[in-house]
Amino acid sequence: MVDGWWALARSEEVTSAKPINVDLAGQPIVLWRDRGGVARALEDRCPHRRAPLSLGCVLGNGMIQCGYHGWTFDGATGHLKDIPNLKSDTKFPALYRANAFAVAESGGFLRVCLDAKAAPPAPASETLPLSGTVNVALDHEHYIAALFDDPSLVLAMRGVRFTPYLMAELAEREGRLVLERSCQWAGPRWPSPFSSDFPITLRISTDPVTGECDLLLRDDAFNPLLSATLAPVPAARGVTQVRWRAKLATRRPGLMAKWLGAGTPLTVLPAIDGAALRVLKPSASIHAAALREAMTTATPQAGAA
Amino acid sequence: MLDVKDTAVTDDHADPVIGDPRAFAEKVAAWVPHDIVLKDAWFPLAHGFAVTEKPVRRAVYSQPYFLWREGGKAVAAECHPADGLTASKSAYTDAAGRYPVIEKYGYVWCWLGNPANAAPEHLPSLPYLPEDGGLPLHMLGTVRFDCTAPLSLENLIDLTHADFLHADVVGDEKMDKETVEVFHDTESITMVRTCVNKSVAPVMKLFGGVKSDVQQVRQVIRIYLRSHAAIAYGRFSPGDNVQLFHPCVPETRDRTRLDYTMNTSNVKKNNPFRYVMPKASYKVSRQDSSMTSPQSPRYMRPEKRKDLHSPLDEAGQKYRVLMLALAERQARGDFAHRDNVSADCSEIIGYQKP
Ligand code: FES
Ligand SMILES: [Fe+2]
Repeated sequence: MVDGWWALARSEEVTSAKPINVDLAGQPIVLWRDRGGVARALEDRCPHRRAPLSLGCVLGNGMIQCGYHGWTFDGATGHLKDIPNLKSDTKFPALYRANAFAVAESGGFLRVCLDAKAAPPAPASETLPLSGTVNVALDHEHYIAALFDDPSLVLAMRGVRFTPYLMAELAEREGRLVLERSCQWAGPRWPSPFSSDFPITLRISTDPVTGECDLLLRDDAFNPLLSATLAPVPAARGVTQVRWRAKLATRRPGLMAKWLGAGTPLTVLPAIDGAALRVLKPSASIHAAALREAMTTATPQAGAA
Repeated sequence: MLDVKDTAVTDDHADPVIGDPRAFAEKVAAWVPHDIVLKDAWFPLAHGFAVTEKPVRRAVYSQPYFLWREGGKAVAAECHPADGLTASKSAYTDAAGRYPVIEKYGYVWCWLGNPANAAPEHLPSLPYLPEDGGLPLHMLGTVRFDCTAPLSLENLIDLTHADFLHADVVGDEKMDKETVEVFHDTESITMVRTCVNKSVAPVMKLFGGVKSDVQQVRQVIRIYLRSHAAIAYGRFSPGDNVQLFHPCVPETRDRTRLDYTMNTSNVKKNNPFRYVMPKASYKVSRQDSSMTSPQSPRYMRPEKRKDLHSPLDEAGQKYRVLMLALAERQARGDFAHRDNVSADCSEIIGYQKP
């Protein structure tokens, strides 16, 4: 939990108009933007009387003011800068501070590391235009296992049918957990158990620490059709908050590939079908924990790409 | 969960508030209000009008109280009359399963603790409420707080919060000067806040006919510790005085019931403030709950990190320490009242009887 860079918000969710509350497992975090547009993250707990700072406001100077008694904090350091009712310019001792966390923003995601001194992850090269956030009542580990074993339980791609067959089982590739699943186009087709070849595949490449996934839907000529980033974050009470971004390739040969763009190409489901999940047999996910374990002990600092 | 012990007076009479500052700070930091359960106290469980022939149910720390009238006289029992006396009757009631009851100030007060210790002199003094009740219904109301009762009272006794949380009702933090004085004994704490040229309370500007932009304010909060009941008395110039009785009944350790009285009979009959101010509690209490509700779970267990304080928090810190001192004393079996809460406190709160 401590060494990961977790995508706790999409860039557009965080403004200087109103702070927002997110959480990473048991840790409540307040996010906002200061005057220069820089995103800030503090523990969402005022050190005065433990009120959530997210119920306060962002002042004109970019600092956050607790809504309870007005204590005002600097976002970069968490230092207490003002108690308005004291009507004085006293400097407060260094102990007077809220916990500050490291923030890195790139690719339309705001990532937070609980270790304030962590080196930022490599920035993303582009910001995918489509995006959304869902709250799924399933814990983080089982959510990712469901994505590995049957993507249709957690998402839908327009006109795409996920088969039970993998082109490559889950394995480590350059610091990430990667698998590739064969897919069919929807419609009347020869059933997948009897198909010799499949026209498309879905590649899922996962950060071993955070479970953040890059999805790539390709056709059999290796044309990328749809790419997406799915960032599941363990939130309070076993909920997984999933923020995602996606982009449809402009050149998509074939009728069904074109059809992908005729509506919403990617839907991340807000709820999981419990009946289907309960009987889902573990397959691709079966070695995930062991692989993750081996990778994270070998490379202590594995950040999200 | 509750048990009754005999009153055994302990000899530890040191004032925890004026003792060693380090010990004081440690007590402040050891504050887990969720765990504080005080006994041998009167609780105002219902407005007098709410108690009729038909029993109503109330609770203090989940302990059941059924209230009704017999021949006009309010009574309180542990079991519903339709349910009869159950074998699990507690030691808080007599052989017939009845609690000690007093009707005063427009409330039915019930005793929680050893019935033998129930005495009228342990019932708090509330100078601006008529002893026989009888205030019009529009001055009475019920609100609930989604938090433990001591947090509600800690909220109340630190009025800095009103400048931020209730700015749209009572005005913001803009003023020339603010002073806070605190007085206490073993059973009560009184905070007097004086503000010079404070932003006028919008509720007075909109409904009270106050024209100026600033007013001189003197607010008093007096908490009767065991009963979790508070007086909130405000003098505003220009403006009318605000006379609120704010009893926080700990129905459970994490939920609080407030049957309040906002006595506006001092306000002229043709001034809308007389009718609007008692209703402001509905808005104000939700604003308070927005903070105290998320606070409450954060004060349920001992916490390694100490809360930080400002010089304006003197009252709140002393409230914590006095509550803990009472709780510790009761844990040792000492339930004696060392100070008299029923003595008229008009002078202490600066109230002049009309
Ligand atoms: S709790 Fe934040 S200022 Fe008091
Ligand atoms: Fe309040």
